[in-house]
Amino acid sequence: MSSDPLEIPDVLKPIENLLKGVMIMKPGRIVALLEPGDVVKAYAALKARYGETGLYFSTLVATDLKDEGKIRIDYYINVLEKNQYVVLRTYVPRDDPRIESLLKEAPAALPGECEAYDLLGVVFEGNPHLRRAFFVPEEVAEKGIFPLRKDAGV
Amino acid sequence: MTEEVSKADKVVEIPMTVEIPVGPQHPAVHEPILIKVYAEGEYVVKAEAYTGYNHRGVEKLAEKKTFYQDIFLCGRVCGICNTVHADCYVRALEHILNKEPPPRAKYLRTLAMELERLHSHMLILAVTAEIVGFDTLFMHMMRDRELIMKAKEIVTGNRVLADYIMVGGVRRDLNSEKIDKLKKILTKVEPRIRYYWRVFEEDVTLNKRLVEVGRLTPAQVTSHGLLGPVARASGVATDSRYHDAYDAYAEVPFRIVTRKEGDCMARSLVRFEEMQVSLEICRYILNHLPEGEAVPDERRLPRRFPEGEAFTTVEAPRGELTYYVMSKGGVNPYRVKIRTPSYNNIINTVPFYVGHMIADVPAILASYDPCISCMERVVVIDLRKGIRKKVSMRDLAKGEA
Repeated sequence: MSSDPLEIPDVLKPIENLLKGVMIMKPGRIVALLEPGDVVKAYAALKARYGETGLYFSTLVATDLKDEGKIRIDYYINVLEKNQYVVLRTYVPRDDPRIESLLKEAPAALPGECEAYDLLGVVFEGNPHLRRAFFVPEEVAEKGIFPLRKDAGV
Repeated sequence: MTEEVSKADKVVEIPMTVEIPVGPQHPAVHEPILIKVYAEGEYVVKAEAYTGYNHRGVEKLAEKKTFYQDIFLCGRVCGICNTVHADCYVRALEHILNKEPPPRAKYLRTLAMELERLHSHMLILAVTAEIVGFDTLFMHMMRDRELIMKAKEIVTGNRVLADYIMVGGVRRDLNSEKIDKLKKILTKVEPRIRYYWRVFEEDVTLNKRLVEVGRLTPAQVTSHGLLGPVARASGVATDSRYHDAYDAYAEVPFRIVTRKEGDCMARSLVRFEEMQVSLEICRYILNHLPEGEAVPDERRLPRRFPEGEAFTTVEAPRGELTYYVMSKGGVNPYRVKIRTPSYNNIINTVPFYVGHMIADVPAILASYDPCISCMERVVVIDLRKGIRKKVSMRDLAKGEA
């Protein structure tokens, strides 16, 4: 992965003022580092620029970075107009992982948010559909275990 | 009797809303998911999805196994489209390793994945026919699908689970004899696909059940992240083969098939046209297979992986499949995230059942891939006061109506 904070790719111009850094993930995905509070704003700005049918929300990846005490949340967005994948990357504290839900801007985020809550315990504020045992078996969910956390012991 | 009627002060109409659980085991559902459909009369007023019946913890398991063992694990995420899963995962590993497979291997991977698209599309189109009551068409299509399964066996060594893709190449190469056999199978199967295509276009029953049913607009497709033939049937030209041009798709000529109608029939016809495109791709590959090695020496592959991360996509038969692999060095991945196309296409389309007839639900579900009832609410009409009110069965049982 390379880091070049000086050059902002064209595709990220609409969210230039929100960026905390830009990186490239293989193969050629543009990663925009953002504050957790800016993710919804950034998605809304991209949608305003490229239009509702000019991009779609593809994948939400939450990763437990236990050693750093953080949970990383990546939002993968395919900007059809530019034929370019953009990753909105942000970090939330591991002991209280909370972030605003993207549902009102992108209904496509529903299964990703529900899964990240069920498997990693990330709370997406404003998502009324969050519940345990979305994917995880009930006996695991009842014990309060989030299986994809590195210290879950499963 | 007349006296009794005149004494009555209430009429109870039941049922008004029927809860119909579609799944987790249902003839129209190929994967265990429960879609609860609430119906008033014949029309759906609400739908909910319940998942988790078959969560196997593959992502957690992938963290415990080595990078190479995970190739076989990823191939077992889906029985139908196992080659695309393995390809997507292996390409992520190759990006982390900075390794490029030889051209011949890229062409062979593409060939195996296009054969997979052919048999997957034939399966879902056959199932669509079965769900709308055309069982004969289902049987015929499944018979001819076996030809494609045979072709896949010739290429990969196995008709279902291929385990064909490996880091830096593929496991088996093709010789001229096998190429001739494959060409013969393609020649045999093409007129059959054209015939079934015509049946879908012309058959009265199929048209009545599929045309103008389950219509999706382009804005609904993009806002809900719908993928593959579902998106393309609503005019959204999204195709990972074009976006990412992975494997041989940068060199092999192909076109993105789109339609504007956005209904169940459009989704079926997109699949038929894509089968035509797949046949053309297969033929092109068999005629233009580059010379050189395709099978790498497994003993020379590195055991330990460097630090790095990669996000790869493939156009699986059902739409864009994505893999995120993160390595912190060593022999095990730190994180593997798999996002399958059905994950978006099935869960996110649940609100779109509202307003359709119950009988259309399996057809719609089959077009992006549904039981029996327990009544929930009743309407109580107070004849003296002329008031209609809805009450729950629980309240009715308590005598509060």
